[in-house]
Amino acid sequence: MDDIVAGIVKAFELLFSGDESTWTAVLATVKVSTCSMLLSIGAGLPCGFLLGYYEFRGKQHLRTVLDTMLALPTVFIGLVVFAFISNQGPLGDFKLLFSLTGIAIGQTILAFPIVTAITATTIEAVDPLFKLTLVSLGAGKRNIIATCLWEVRYGILAGAVTAYGRVLTEVGISMMVGGNIKWHTRTVTTAIALETGKGEFANGIALGIILITLAFAVNLSLSLLRRQ
Amino acid sequence: METKKLFFILIAIMFALCSPAGVFASDTLMMATTTSTDNTGLLDYLAPHFEKDTGIKLKWTATGTGKALKLGETCDVDVLLVHAPPAEKKYIEKGFGKARREVMYNDFVIIGPKNDPAAVKGQSIQDALKTIKDKQSAFISRGDDSGTNKKEKLLWKNAGMQLPDKEEWYVQTGQGMLSTINVAQERGGYTMTDRGTYIKYQSQKGGDAPLIVLVDGDAVLLNQYSVLTLSDKNCAKAQHELAIKFSDWMAGENAQNLIKDFRLLGKRLFIPNAK
Amino acid sequence: MTAVYQLKNIRHFYNDRKVLNIDDLTIEKGSITGLVGPNGSGKSTLLKLLIFAERPSLGEIYFRGKIELPFSKAIRSKVTLLTQKPYLLKRTVYDNIAYGLNIRKDKNDVIRRIKTALSKVGLDFERFAPRKWHELSGGEAQRVAMAARLVLEPDVLLLDEPVASVDMESAKLIRNATLKACEEWGTTLVIASHDLQWLFSISDTQIFIFNGKIFPTGVENIITGPFETHNGNQFIKKLSDGQFLVLPEGGKGKTAALIKKKNISIDQDKKQLNNGFNQCEGTITSMFFEKKKERISANIGLNDLSFTLNFSPDQISRLDLQPGKKIILTFKIDHMEWM
Repeated sequence: MDDIVAGIVKAFELLFSGDESTWTAVLATVKVSTCSMLLSIGAGLPCGFLLGYYEFRGKQHLRTVLDTMLALPTVFIGLVVFAFISNQGPLGDFKLLFSLTGIAIGQTILAFPIVTAITATTIEAVDPLFKLTLVSLGAGKRNIIATCLWEVRYGILAGAVTAYGRVLTEVGISMMVGGNIKWHTRTVTTAIALETGKGEFANGIALGIILITLAFAVNLSLSLLRRQ
Repeated sequence: METKKLFFILIAIMFALCSPAGVFASDTLMMATTTSTDNTGLLDYLAPHFEKDTGIKLKWTATGTGKALKLGETCDVDVLLVHAPPAEKKYIEKGFGKARREVMYNDFVIIGPKNDPAAVKGQSIQDALKTIKDKQSAFISRGDDSGTNKKEKLLWKNAGMQLPDKEEWYVQTGQGMLSTINVAQERGGYTMTDRGTYIKYQSQKGGDAPLIVLVDGDAVLLNQYSVLTLSDKNCAKAQHELAIKFSDWMAGENAQNLIKDFRLLGKRLFIPNAK
Repeated sequence: MTAVYQLKNIRHFYNDRKVLNIDDLTIEKGSITGLVGPNGSGKSTLLKLLIFAERPSLGEIYFRGKIELPFSKAIRSKVTLLTQKPYLLKRTVYDNIAYGLNIRKDKNDVIRRIKTALSKVGLDFERFAPRKWHELSGGEAQRVAMAARLVLEPDVLLLDEPVASVDMESAKLIRNATLKACEEWGTTLVIASHDLQWLFSISDTQIFIFNGKIFPTGVENIITGPFETHNGNQFIKKLSDGQFLVLPEGGKGKTAALIKKKNISIDQDKKQLNNGFNQCEGTITSMFFEKKKERISANIGLNDLSFTLNFSPDQISRLDLQPGKKIILTFKIDHMEWM
């Protein structure tokens, strides 16, 4: 109980006293999660569209694989990415281990199936009259695709929020690939893991509160966008 | 229309955030080390001095000694600060490491509840482990192949016993030292820790910790920390020059004094012993 | 007169089911064509082919003399379709109507044209233009959808049950706007509707569709099953009042048969006939005037069946026909065709 109260007090202290290491971790978290969201939306949106819009052979199997990927554990992703970008891995020359870019790659793999699956489901749910209506109004193939994506923007937004939640709170990839290096790859979640490891439970709770605040800020701004 | 504009602004902000964030200065040394040097705050204390003296920025990732050695083997780091002398020597023999320099030590202790249910207080380390096994008292192990864990496994062997891997009273946490101490506290069991981490734990409990030191002082409990540079044959691209500078600095007078002065609750955590 | 559409040897399948089977169909420029037939007969499918939303499985569709395919330039935004239930984009009414113009990159005087289109369906620009898609009633939404088509000044306007699910007021406005388009721009209209009275009063030709087949002579009379075998090879359809119709051979496994209206004769009383004829009593349920053809259509109920026959005004007065009157229908068994 003492830890919880102390944690809440500490959270405000860290945030408002401008504690440098806390803010660096917050910035790293925002940076890396934004980057991975951008990448996963960039890749997941077209893939989800293709999967939801077109009928082709093996589509159901692809969906099953995708749904399985939704359950990928973060430590496993971390391990696989680590194996690839470690100096002795096939991508070792790019020096991505212990970098924010490395974490972003792992988190992209985490978020990509979520964005893709939700986009596909949203597209599949579009009224069959939609295409007929657009053809009636003289739309070409490109118009249809662009308008379709704009029509389902709220569904995609919901997918992005879900994926962002996962990315923001994961610790396995950040720890494994980022290495929790102070001032560089320490994110809020790895900092929580560290504080817990150090037995500084109050600090851990404070950082947890900061993380939740961050998630709340993101969701709030998106819901404001939606209300526009 | 407004919504569209907002969307684009949002995306622009996201791109701005995503742009590469300042390339690291070239004089950055990447080190893999053990949780004890990080959790006690020693490295946070030393790194600014190191940078001031040499102009080299020190970055480190703290894991168990097992993984730290692995990171050196794959050349993902430039230098190691670890505490498992037999493993370190084997590591050099295998051609992964180049030179090993002993820089400081502390010692391992067996800690347990104040009421000492197995009555091991004052026993030798061999006898204490035997007693714990005979009485089937809870013993909490790191179980993560870290330096501490390697040492503990060796001690069971020295005491003439097989590792009680599957025994019900033998709990392997797979976590860091402080987490493991906390598990021991919750379970009312014994554990083996380095003294530095124990002092850190004590300081968190305000000097009145539920777990106290019961066995210490045995020569076999010495916990030697060494800086390990990597083989330039195995890791051609590692920053060997910087690694040697770090090794020299750690063994130098300034760092040795700094280590001597690093205290918690007025107690010294590490004892410098560079030759 | 020139043909806007010519359909040649169209066969259209959904999976393995044949849904359309049209050997030859021509739709003239500026004409109003009514599309009549029960639900699931293929009306909507035909309209989808005419809007080039789908490509027929077999056969060709000529648009102004040339074979056209989906998304070809010659048809885009010249041919437009209004569906029974409107689909509005998740935008404002204004943006919904401007959508087709935006696609054409037509920036000319957009606001005034949208205003005109809205007024044609009885919607006030100031009040409705800024509304979101979900702030409309069903009838208003359908009228907005109609305005989005009218603003394109289409060459061909296809309507699929346009007023089946809207209120009376909206229905009236949509009907008026439809006719006005025809008058103003010479728009060719193809209208599928169950509202035969309206359809007959405005259309030049009626095409009857049943089970994917078309009958250019207009509404024909369908006798639906179940059938029972009779005298070995023949079949009979029992009506609930005890009357029955005899059908020719070859009806095994069929679900419906057709008798063309030209093969049916009308009498006041039953006559003595030989075996090759059906003779049954029906009641006139409704009559209406087909303005363009100067003739009268009458619906005649035979229990659960409904027949439609055409009469000249002379015949009506000679036979003293009026709703509620019982009349005798006579037709040859051999004239009946299995579907």
